[in-house]
Amino acid sequence: MLMEGFATAAQPIYLLYALFGVFIGTAVGVLPGIGPAMTVALLMPITYSLEPTAAMIVFAGIYYGGMYGGSTTSILLNTPGESASIVTALEGNKMAKAGRGAAALATAAIGSFVAGTIATVLLTFLAPVIVDFAINLGPVDFVALMVVAFLTIGALLGSSVLRGMASLALGLFIGLIGVDDTTAQQRYTFGFAGFTDGIDVVLVAVGLFAVGEALYVAARMRKGPIEVMGMGTSSGNSAKWMTKDDWKRSWKPWLRGTFIGFPIGTVPAGGADVSTFLSYAAERKLAKGENKKQFGRGAIEGVAGPEAANNAAAAGVLVPLLTLGIPTTATAAMMLTAFQRYQIQPGPLLMETNGALVWALIASLYIGNLMLLVLNLPLVGLWVKILQIPRPYLYAGILVFGALGAYSLNFALMDVGILLVIGVLGFFMRQYGYPVAPMVVAMILGPMFEVQLRRGLQISQNDVSALVSTPFTWVVYGALVLMFAASFFIKRAQKKMEALPVESIAEEAK
Amino acid sequence: MQATQKNLGEVLFALVFVVLGVAGVIFAGTIEVPDLEFGMGPRAFPYIVSTLLLVLGAGLVYQALRGRLGAAEDGEDIDADASTDWLTIGKLAFFVIIHIVLIEPAGWPVAAAALFIGAAWALGAKPFWRSVLIGIVLALVLQYLFGGLLGVSLPRGPLLEGVEFLNG
Repeated sequence: MLMEGFATAAQPIYLLYALFGVFIGTAVGVLPGIGPAMTVALLMPITYSLEPTAAMIVFAGIYYGGMYGGSTTSILLNTPGESASIVTALEGNKMAKAGRGAAALATAAIGSFVAGTIATVLLTFLAPVIVDFAINLGPVDFVALMVVAFLTIGALLGSSVLRGMASLALGLFIGLIGVDDTTAQQRYTFGFAGFTDGIDVVLVAVGLFAVGEALYVAARMRKGPIEVMGMGTSSGNSAKWMTKDDWKRSWKPWLRGTFIGFPIGTVPAGGADVSTFLSYAAERKLAKGENKKQFGRGAIEGVAGPEAANNAAAAGVLVPLLTLGIPTTATAAMMLTAFQRYQIQPGPLLMETNGALVWALIASLYIGNLMLLVLNLPLVGLWVKILQIPRPYLYAGILVFGALGAYSLNFALMDVGILLVIGVLGFFMRQYGYPVAPMVVAMILGPMFEVQLRRGLQISQNDVSALVSTPFTWVVYGALVLMFAASFFIKRAQKKMEALPVESIAEEAK
Repeated sequence: MQATQKNLGEVLFALVFVVLGVAGVIFAGTIEVPDLEFGMGPRAFPYIVSTLLLVLGAGLVYQALRGRLGAAEDGEDIDADASTDWLTIGKLAFFVIIHIVLIEPAGWPVAAAALFIGAAWALGAKPFWRSVLIGIVLALVLQYLFGGLLGVSLPRGPLLEGVEFLNG
């Protein structure tokens, strides 16, 4: 099956689409303010004219590319404040300051490649197994899985449980607007024709990510020049690239990061952020002697591990998306939307009904990873240039793209108006510390959840105890309890770690 | 002063969730239920979601009143110490509205260029002529890519009426 996928994905035209995807993906990963979720949302119009395989190859490329590009920004962009949330910046930024930026970028890129490839292999073998299993799952089992997804996305991500859940509930609410799937009754439309089809999730995603972000940055824009650090190869020789010692210190963190990141991506337990943090904590603990002292001052393990974990988690996220039809990140939610535009319903039947598409997609991930390695190592100078785009043009451009994305949905002026309203909402959510991603995921998952819930209760004739009637649901709800217990400890450890760099800087100052 | 103002804003924003929740519960009762429906029906899930919004919103109002505020989001381009510049936000929103007004009479490229030039100016781009140049080029390139190549029907507008390859 995979070989057929390769045969498709290796056709020159699909190679071009993959190249286009990874190129755009890296660029938006590098640029602050835009991420892969928003890019996929903005490029949704291509689903009008491209066939599904081509479009999904582009989107998958953007998804993987975004992961690569992000590391360049966190290593080279000299802005304080972000370091706590992006683990790579902790050590990578210090390495760049010490003139070892090239080595940091290299270990990030190669680590991403190693992890991405291994994780894609795992995806290849795991997906059919899960599908075989998932095909027998009933509605109540899916309800259990989605409850887990809701709670982990809403409550575990971000610092405030209430805010995450409120964002999620808002997404569920907006998802209700329109015609009910089961009975065709209008809900919350107030007789308004524009609301009958519901509010498009692409509109919400672009509004929150693009317009919301632009407004938020506009309100508190960092003035002055953009400080991008050099790569430490001022003399032009490549001696400062990864040394033998760097390789020796990197390969184990790459592998460890992969096996930390992939499982975390697979279960909806927090996405890439948690995996990078866990990998960083592991590397810090495992480092010995002289290397251990470097943590906080530019230890290469602290870049290699988290970057690998990051990419492995990204591949892991595709497992529930392609086998169960459950998106666990905003980007996955956008990819699911793209499937829906083609009237393809992701779920356990996807591999049976659209096997050729899925395998071409997976094959293109292998190819895309290789392209990304080639693209990122020698072309880093280009990405640095992109990083320096003057911010007024960047955010003005984001607004134009956002307006284009909104208008091209239905060619309705009202959509652009709704875009602005949602953008303002996104601004206030950022201002007051509400995460926006749960809202987007909930908009997609909510209607699916309701359908399964109603189906489940219909079968059991309104007996609520049916929701916990199968062994699978016991396992899932049991795992949920364990996950919350684990997250409690991880969050405590994370707080401790985030406090650390400040202390160590204070020590240096003494 | 600054702190109490942020406090107030946060309480008001949390109240939005409460109001939505209340409205959701009220209007869920107006959803028509078909006679043949057995099982949950179309009202149950709206009730659940609205109640959830209401409860979470109330919790957030309580937290905000007690002074437990959310942490504003970080970002590479964010100056954490700056205070909110409402004027710039207003300008950006204004140019988005201008964009909406212009699309149909003047065509998408003109509207897009206006949005870009206005937004870049509001964000402090200098010199002005460069924003104008970039805005016009960007609008035409997008019109060509999406309208001409991908077949997205963006209106060309009267100015570019005769230019066939820009046809949306």
